[in-house]
Amino acid sequence: MNAKANKNQVTCIEPDYYQAITEAIRKEAVKILKDETVVGVVGYLPGRRKGTASPALVTTVEEAEKLIFSPACVNNLSVYLTKAKKGVLKQGKVGIVAKGCDMRALAGLMTESQLQREDLFIIGVVCPGVYGFGVERTGTLTEANIARKCRECTVHMPEGADVAAGTHAELADLTPEEAQEMARIEAMPQAERWAFWKEHFSRCIRCMACRQVCPFCYCEQCLCDKNRPQAVESSPRPAGNMAWHLVRAMHLAGRCGGCAECERVCPMDIPLNLLNRRMAQELKELYDFEAGLTPVDKGPLNEYKENDDQSFIK
Amino acid sequence: MPQIITEQNLRNLIDLLVKEAKLVVGPKLSGSVVLYEPLTAGSDLTLDALPRRSSKELFFPICEDILSYKRENGAMKVNDVDRSKFPEAVLIGAPPCDAGSPAILDAVMSWDYKDEFYLERRRKSTIVGIACTKGDDACFCRAVGLAPDAEAGSDLFLTPLKDGSYACNAVTEKGQALVAAHQNLFSEGAGAEPKPFVDQAVAKLNLVKIKKWLEEHFEDPLWEKIADICVGCGACAFICPACHCFDINDEGSTDDGVRRKHWDACGFAKFTNHASGHNPRDVQNKRYRNRIMHKFKYYDDKFGKTLCTGCGRCIRACPVGIDIAEILETINSKQD
Repeated sequence: MNAKANKNQVTCIEPDYYQAITEAIRKEAVKILKDETVVGVVGYLPGRRKGTASPALVTTVEEAEKLIFSPACVNNLSVYLTKAKKGVLKQGKVGIVAKGCDMRALAGLMTESQLQREDLFIIGVVCPGVYGFGVERTGTLTEANIARKCRECTVHMPEGADVAAGTHAELADLTPEEAQEMARIEAMPQAERWAFWKEHFSRCIRCMACRQVCPFCYCEQCLCDKNRPQAVESSPRPAGNMAWHLVRAMHLAGRCGGCAECERVCPMDIPLNLLNRRMAQELKELYDFEAGLTPVDKGPLNEYKENDDQSFIK
Repeated sequence: MPQIITEQNLRNLIDLLVKEAKLVVGPKLSGSVVLYEPLTAGSDLTLDALPRRSSKELFFPICEDILSYKRENGAMKVNDVDRSKFPEAVLIGAPPCDAGSPAILDAVMSWDYKDEFYLERRRKSTIVGIACTKGDDACFCRAVGLAPDAEAGSDLFLTPLKDGSYACNAVTEKGQALVAAHQNLFSEGAGAEPKPFVDQAVAKLNLVKIKKWLEEHFEDPLWEKIADICVGCGACAFICPACHCFDINDEGSTDDGVRRKHWDACGFAKFTNHASGHNPRDVQNKRYRNRIMHKFKYYDDKFGKTLCTGCGRCIRACPVGIDIAEILETINSKQD
């Protein structure tokens, strides 16, 4: 179905909308656990604090009946299917609740042979958006509390899911704040742009939250953890911070699906998704490639073609 | 009769301290976040929000050089850091959950090994704490035995009053000295009524009971349940006022470099990785268990204190919504 053709634009998304998705997720999760289609379902449970939610790995019908979907369901759950979490769920087919942006990560992980489609039961969410950081958590999604990435969402409809929960709705007239910020930074003279990032990276405390939530940071040995010899300074100082963030951005080029989890979890508010988007833009221009739309055999940076753009060689 | 200081005079005090060449650190807007940063003027002070990182970094910086080395004419020369050059400092505007942290950490920092980097900074600092009238649903200082008006750790303690001024209590000699040196900024008087405190969602916890449960449940399904979703970053530990683990790295070349001490976190997979390759905390649930055990059992065993001030930062920052107050409530409500 073409999402654009069926645009249902509204000024706010009421809690009822999310409640309907919640009901659909519960029904499906209970069914696939009961008939043993899956060994577990990765979804969301409510948090202690009002308007919060946490990822959850549920394996029983009782737990599945408590799953929710709300604007607080911000996490990209595909990280729980990567090597970092191996052994947490039993071997076997796994159910996962996935928003459109999370689906892109799943497609990317399939491209990289980290996941097999037949090992997943995907409960797609027709997602109108989730909360930004530090906003009012009223249960209703509005222009005032929607996440920055959701303002420019092109994947409200989760393509390629086994089932989809929800009917299409999205907020009307959202300003593309991130695109505007991209343009502002792009227009800066190089020195000013360098200063912008230097200032941001100077605040980095190297908590590695950006790495740990990233579905694509599944290396079992991160270059940045090596200390014999040290490849990147591990101490939180400007030089090492800059090196780490450049390594991160480059390593995600052509792979990042744009879930912006790295930016969401940064306790120091470093706008990391701007780097991801800039890398994605390069890939689009050079190879006409967008990561994670559908699984492919090989990403453009994983193969060589004679007609590849060589203009970067100076 | 308490001493009163107006908001303007509090800012004037900062101006004066800066003029006296003291390092004045307080909550300040840095980009989009409030952090404890050196204040260059009283107008920098921002008391609207709890800083994103705790004030422990004034004593225990994110990263500091502890020595440098250089090979010269075949001989290795090691240069110590001259700690006598650490500046006299005043921490101003820290709420009890931050101001109270040195009072907890002094014990471990001056235990069998004396951490002279930390201790020298402590000796040279005066803490001006402030009663907390903000707070949100992540705050739980009362639950762990502190309070929005707890003076522990503060040398001088300010209580915000309804008319915008502050009642001041000089808790220690350092606090008295600070007031005495700037007496003209303070006035005596009863002052207006204090601003009210915010109610907290978490009821007072029975820390003795929690500790007892921890003693008996080194192995428990609870640890797996939490750690299954923990992604193993260090956000909770780094922004915590009480976490104090650090790593030491030599950075540079074999002939010329610096030995640095910087924050570390028990959530990291390699935190306890031995040189042999063996890791006694090889999976996340053992690592998360250590976080809780250290805060609510081990530290108490050793120093008679709880290693948590209830600031709620880890709850707000956890990428996956792990809520330490909820975990403590769960343990607190267990019957056995």
